[in-house]
Amino acid sequence: MQSLNEEALKLEKHPGDAETVRSIRRIIHTLKGDAAACGYRELSESAHELEDALAVETASSHRGLADVAFAAADIFGSMLRSYRRRAKLPSVEALRKMIRDLGENSTNKKRMDKKKAAKVPASKAEWTEYEKLEVQNALNQGKPVYHVKAQFDPRCAMPVAARQLLLNSLGAVGQVVGVRPETDSTESTERLELLLVSALSVEKVTAKCRIPMVLGRASVELIKGKVPKRAASAKRSKEPSGISIESITEDAPTSAAEEYEGREKLHLGAVAENILRVDAERIDNVLNLVGELIIGKSMLQQAFQELIKHSPKESMRGRLADAMAFQSRVLNDLQRSVMKIRMVPVEQLFRRFPRMVRDVAKQCGKEVDLVMSGQDTDLDKSLLDAIAEPLTHLVRNAVAHGIEDAAERARVGKPARGTIRLDAYHQGNHVIVEISDDGSGVDSQKVKAKALENKIVSAEEAERLSEADILGLVFRPGFSTADEITEIAGRGVGLDVVQSVLHRLKGTVEIETHPGQGTTFRLKLPLTLAIIKALLFRVEQRLYAIPLNTVAEIARARESDLHRVDNYEVLQLRNQVLPLVRLGRPSAQATQQAAKIFVLVITLGERKLGLIVEALEGEEELVIKALDDQTVSTDLVSGASILGDGRVVLILNLAAIVERHTNSRPGEPGRVASGMLLSHADRSRIAQTVSEIQP
Amino acid sequence: MEQFSPVKRSKDGQPVRYLVVDDSVFARKNLARMIETFGGQLAGEAGDGMTAITEYERTHPDIVLMDITMPQMEGIEAAEKIVRQHPEARIVMVSSVGYQENIVAALQRGARHFVQKPVKPEVLYEVIKYVLGEDGTVAAGAGA
Repeated sequence: MQSLNEEALKLEKHPGDAETVRSIRRIIHTLKGDAAACGYRELSESAHELEDALAVETASSHRGLADVAFAAADIFGSMLRSYRRRAKLPSVEALRKMIRDLGENSTNKKRMDKKKAAKVPASKAEWTEYEKLEVQNALNQGKPVYHVKAQFDPRCAMPVAARQLLLNSLGAVGQVVGVRPETDSTESTERLELLLVSALSVEKVTAKCRIPMVLGRASVELIKGKVPKRAASAKRSKEPSGISIESITEDAPTSAAEEYEGREKLHLGAVAENILRVDAERIDNVLNLVGELIIGKSMLQQAFQELIKHSPKESMRGRLADAMAFQSRVLNDLQRSVMKIRMVPVEQLFRRFPRMVRDVAKQCGKEVDLVMSGQDTDLDKSLLDAIAEPLTHLVRNAVAHGIEDAAERARVGKPARGTIRLDAYHQGNHVIVEISDDGSGVDSQKVKAKALENKIVSAEEAERLSEADILGLVFRPGFSTADEITEIAGRGVGLDVVQSVLHRLKGTVEIETHPGQGTTFRLKLPLTLAIIKALLFRVEQRLYAIPLNTVAEIARARESDLHRVDNYEVLQLRNQVLPLVRLGRPSAQATQQAAKIFVLVITLGERKLGLIVEALEGEEELVIKALDDQTVSTDLVSGASILGDGRVVLILNLAAIVERHTNSRPGEPGRVASGMLLSHADRSRIAQTVSEIQP
Repeated sequence: MEQFSPVKRSKDGQPVRYLVVDDSVFARKNLARMIETFGGQLAGEAGDGMTAITEYERTHPDIVLMDITMPQMEGIEAAEKIVRQHPEARIVMVSSVGYQENIVAALQRGARHFVQKPVKPEVLYEVIKYVLGEDGTVAAGAGA
């Protein structure tokens, strides 16, 4: 505390001394850590805020900074005193306000500086201290530094590769000091910002960013080195917020606090007005309209193609193509923005579990740690709400049934505290939520016995079940292995509910267990991307689609290239043997050995397999129209869509198809998936429904 | 078929020479046809990485169109070896979206650009113009 005061004094004497600011940050950081360790929550929080504000304020020439540091020292001091006396805490609002002002101030400054082309680039990207130092060094050596903002070409499906190309291109002409987003970051990469030290002129650097098919717009801005710091700080002291900070550096922080609490409320009011609570239905409406727009776009495109075919010399062609490209880009952005409105991090759901695990563990007399990861994975709000209950159930189960009690754990040589892991991550078009415990695992013999006891399966059925099938029994209604009913679990209403919810959401739930090591439940949910890029193909003259991002490559083959192993069809592709799934029955034509076929190489999670199709139709953006259970009696189709020319296409549910494929034990080859596709009646019903959805 | 203004080498006005590397004959033919519409000339073909290297040595093409997944030697390795011997080599990777990491790897090892399968002529045309840079000129003539 004393050293904070000292440093603040120093800072007042030498405004702009970066070393002092850093030292203040260090002190506050230590204070924050100590406060947190002692359980002084308020103190640690405000210290944290101040630390953040200081991190933003790098120009370090802030006269007000010293004042804030003083006030902070005072308030932190009195907070410490009251902690010791267990008295009521002094208000920290005044300090908060000051800290916020400080933060705002620095952003203000950045804004001003940008107008005058000053030294710090005003942008969303936050550069690290190190990167800023590099820039400063380069500037000091008289080298020009550029701030490059590039937007990827929406047609480029490979942003990571695109980014590498830009780095290559710029790396050839200078030194890339910093890149945002960072290389291994998973955030969406529509745009890229980087700092470049290069001897070339602005025009030359801009030209270097002109990479066709990869980058759309790019702006290059010269960061000038010769803006005197003093001038900036002089400007600052005239700003009104600087004055307001001056006025509250009195020795009685509480009185100042009262004065500022009033303003604080005003301030909060202003923030609240920027957040709208909107009925989810309205957003869905917008999303639907965007879907219609995309259908409209493909109608336009189709018309355009035909126009070109009819009159290839049409002079308006270029302008039309430009306008359409522009329209589709805006449409993409629009779609993404609308989708984003609905997305919330799973953290919102995960947040409730630490407390719950603790309570349940206490009730059961167990010791359990909860480890969570992937909290920032985004998920559609409605999905998140829907899985809240199943997930709660699974977590409870994991504590109550999964983890053994301490005595049992000690006996098998595990640490006394059990661990439950919650994880969420993206996988292709899905979000996976995993709950795993390090308990005893599920005993399949016990499951079987229970299932017999509860008359879920008959004795003779039970004999025929495979290990995986037995595990699947836990999802049957009325199943519970707990020997006695407790408040927490064991009422027989359980995993079947979990499964039915997941099915309703077009997701799946899987169980994976290792005796003695634990159990993992894996919930797989669709991203609810109502609009997907899809590959269209034909089987038995009918049109189907699968999400394009599952297709790794397309291979051509002849019927004679296919081999049979263990009643499954396989194709040798380069050095790999690819298991194949045949949609539909092998037609008379297909049985001809020379008949040409396409094999779509699909990646599903870890697995790779080939889908035999007869003809390819192209790729297209599809607006998924959900089909209810009355329309389709199979889970092999996940939705339907309508094309620009009015044809209806079915979107296949690959996960279900693969599952069906692996579970079926075909008596004879070639029948692997026969009868898998829809009957004609099904088809016409779907076509009707989909057209009804269309206005 | 769309019309493209032919791209020629600026040093001598000759057609740009290409080496097409892909293990699928169909893909090679397809690319060769596109190259023709750009006014280019097919200098050589290869079905795997090894052959690609020897063909490069033999023909010294202006541009190499290189597939990623191939038997014997993958495109990345072949590209790396060619660039190490001939830093001036202009290699364009051709691959599907699923192999993005491989494309990044190839770019780090000296490939100049990439196009996504299925290759669209207008995309390839732009990429080729870019990769050639000042060494290529778009001949005036056929309508733009």
